[in-house]
Amino acid sequence: MAAIAKQFDVAEEDRLRANWYALLARLLASAPDAALLRKVASMEGDESDFGRALKSLGAAAKATAVEAVTQEYFDLFIGVGGSELTPYGSYYLTGFLHEKPLARLRVDMARLGITRAEGVAESEDHIAALCDVMRGLITGTFGEPADLATQRQFFDDHIGCWAPRFFEDLEAAKAAAFFMPVGTIGRLFMAVEAQAFEMAA
Amino acid sequence: MSKKEVTSVGRRDFFRKAGLGAGALGAAAVGASATESKAAEADHKATGSAGYRETDHVKKFYELAKF
Repeated sequence: MAAIAKQFDVAEEDRLRANWYALLARLLASAPDAALLRKVASMEGDESDFGRALKSLGAAAKATAVEAVTQEYFDLFIGVGGSELTPYGSYYLTGFLHEKPLARLRVDMARLGITRAEGVAESEDHIAALCDVMRGLITGTFGEPADLATQRQFFDDHIGCWAPRFFEDLEAAKAAAFFMPVGTIGRLFMAVEAQAFEMAA
Repeated sequence: MSKKEVTSVGRRDFFRKAGLGAGALGAAAVGASATESKAAEADHKATGSAGYRETDHVKKFYELAKF
């Protein structure tokens, strides 16, 4: 069945949030290719914290190249005999991969009707996958936009409890050049999300 | 205004002050290009059980991101 995705009427601020989640998901899912680096290099920012972080990221994109950023991604997240970081919720929450937090995430994803693609090696608690789930919950690509309470529950249970630490680690990682401002953006955005959910409660 | 509208206005204001919109044009360009082209292929199937929807949405991101 080749259906056309429905476009839902999503509030402007929620579109913005979805865009930030999409940006983080895209940058963290795999090493950026040349086309993505070009796009990132052309980003502009204002003098806000977010704007400055985007400008740093743009500058970092200009200063790197596909080969270098591929190596950086590998050293940070994949590595031989241990990468510098382990971008999975279960690891951050328990010290091990594939532990209870992942099992709980799978239950919640099933309840929300979200499944992992066949052939995907990374478990669902990878930071990029979680950012993409949030994006989809906000914009309605899973069926229809999730209400704020649902978004908040998912964020609190599966992201807010560890991702802020991950982004701080990324910001401070030895191997991080291009990914340092990605860490900054993630850290800033997580704080804004947490506070906004708090307000809405 | 309803409570919901008040909340919505407060949130919008909060995100604006946080600078989420100001620097976000570039973020939108990168993020949207990565996801919305694929979203057009979304295939939503509502199943019989109440409120449960099965989609292969996450796949779209993963495929796109070459996981």
